[in-house]
Amino acid sequence: MILRLSNRACVLSGSARLKSTLSTYFDEMGKAGIILKSASAGIFENLALEDWIHDHVDLQNRSILLLWRNSPVVVIGRHQNPWQECNLPLMRRLGIPLARRRSGGGTVFHDFGNINMTFFTSKKKYDRHRNLKVVTSALKALRPDLDVTATDRFDILLNGHHKISGTAAKLGRTSAYHHCTLLCSVDRSILSSVLKSNTSEVIRSNATLSVPSPVKNLSDVDPTLDADTIMEAIASQFNNEFGFDSPVITVDPAHEALMPGIHKMTNDIQMWEWIYGKTPKFSVCTSLVVDDVNIKLDMDIKSGTVEKCVVEIPEDWLPPETVNEFTSALNGSKYCPNEAAVLVAAFMRTRSMSADVAGKIHRLCEGVLSVM
Amino acid sequence: MAMSTILRCASVGLTSSLPRLSKRNSLAPARLLARTCYKRFLNTTAPFCAALKFTDKHEWVRVDSGVATVGISNFAQEALGDVVYCGLPEVGANLSQSDEFGTLESVKAASELYSPLTGEVTDVNDALADNPGLVNKSCYKDGWLMKMTVSVPEELNGLMDEAAYERYIKSIED
Repeated sequence: MILRLSNRACVLSGSARLKSTLSTYFDEMGKAGIILKSASAGIFENLALEDWIHDHVDLQNRSILLLWRNSPVVVIGRHQNPWQECNLPLMRRLGIPLARRRSGGGTVFHDFGNINMTFFTSKKKYDRHRNLKVVTSALKALRPDLDVTATDRFDILLNGHHKISGTAAKLGRTSAYHHCTLLCSVDRSILSSVLKSNTSEVIRSNATLSVPSPVKNLSDVDPTLDADTIMEAIASQFNNEFGFDSPVITVDPAHEALMPGIHKMTNDIQMWEWIYGKTPKFSVCTSLVVDDVNIKLDMDIKSGTVEKCVVEIPEDWLPPETVNEFTSALNGSKYCPNEAAVLVAAFMRTRSMSADVAGKIHRLCEGVLSVM
Repeated sequence: MAMSTILRCASVGLTSSLPRLSKRNSLAPARLLARTCYKRFLNTTAPFCAALKFTDKHEWVRVDSGVATVGISNFAQEALGDVVYCGLPEVGANLSQSDEFGTLESVKAASELYSPLTGEVTDVNDALADNPGLVNKSCYKDGWLMKMTVSVPEELNGLMDEAAYERYIKSIED
């Protein structure tokens, strides 16, 4: 199964012995500690890899560290509201996808300048402080003068002030995982613009909220620190801290033969019903100005679907029946600008209306879409 | 509670022996009293009375008139820390024993919840939407999570009673 062994790294491929899965490979290895590195830069594949390991690998007497990086993506926590946490229209324009993870915590931006680390253990051995100590010790081993400390909220701060790492965790039946980020050389201007919601003030919700913090990259204080060097140091410190001796094993999460069921997990975590549909019930209450007319918009959204849509419009601007039909078209639809636009277009095609009314509906629709 | 009931019955001329009381008594004037005593006696010792049962995942369940109320134990709420969000199932959801039915979030950790029984969800605690801290403040009372029907009553026999759960916690802590 092992194709290449070089400098304590090896790459796994399932083609040699198709009967073996990653799980049985670990059993055969017989090591108490294992370090993995994902070969993928895809957020959904990597989140699925985490889920697969959590569900299929026996972690009662084994701990695993997984190192991974992603192309640009915004990741929200399990119980968060993306409309409150990030600028979805900007993300769509920039082609930056949104993902929802299964662990708790707040919203983060990943790109190749960010390292993700996931520590898998039994529930008994779950110890976030000890895991963060691996990270801070690794950084100090590389650069002894670096001022990096973990807080009691499980953040890591640089120079006591700037956040360079955030943490989240998931606890299951018998095992748990703790993952955290590490800002090495992330694009900070994109980070700050995508993590600022354009609609948070109009949303009422009980979803968990992120705590915004000033951030910095490690490369800002030391340009010679790069992600690869840091990952190697973390792997080494993981072995030191826990008394393990694992090489870094590269795993390809697209490999279904190695991890049966991972394709389905990857698909499930990309579904609209998971990413947007799992948003806790919320309501949107705002005033729009269309054609110098004040319009009150009130919507209730449950499971990402519009449950109630009320629009208060002066009667002389648009007839109430037309307004009611407009809101009915949106009721029961996904709270999504593409879907709403399609529904309103269909609504307009099936009714005869004057060009004036059609223009107003079109502009009203644009106003409604702007909050989605 | 059973003891004082029996003594009261004895003082109005009924026999005080327990087996006699538990049989439906045919003496007319005494029957009403006997039935009252019988009912009270039943409430404190019947197996389907509202006593807490526990799972090894630290959920508790209390069955009352065929409806099971489910929550998490004090041990669990202490281990979790401040609960900031309760992700609960939809009313009408059908759960098998050990199915994941929800998630509690506390200090950035999402903890899965596992159904102690097989049944259908009849109610969820809406108060937790605005006040998730109730799970910490009153885990056995106001912080209840959901109510469900009991499709397989035998499953209750496999759960721990309070004393067994206390022993279980001690064994984990060591």
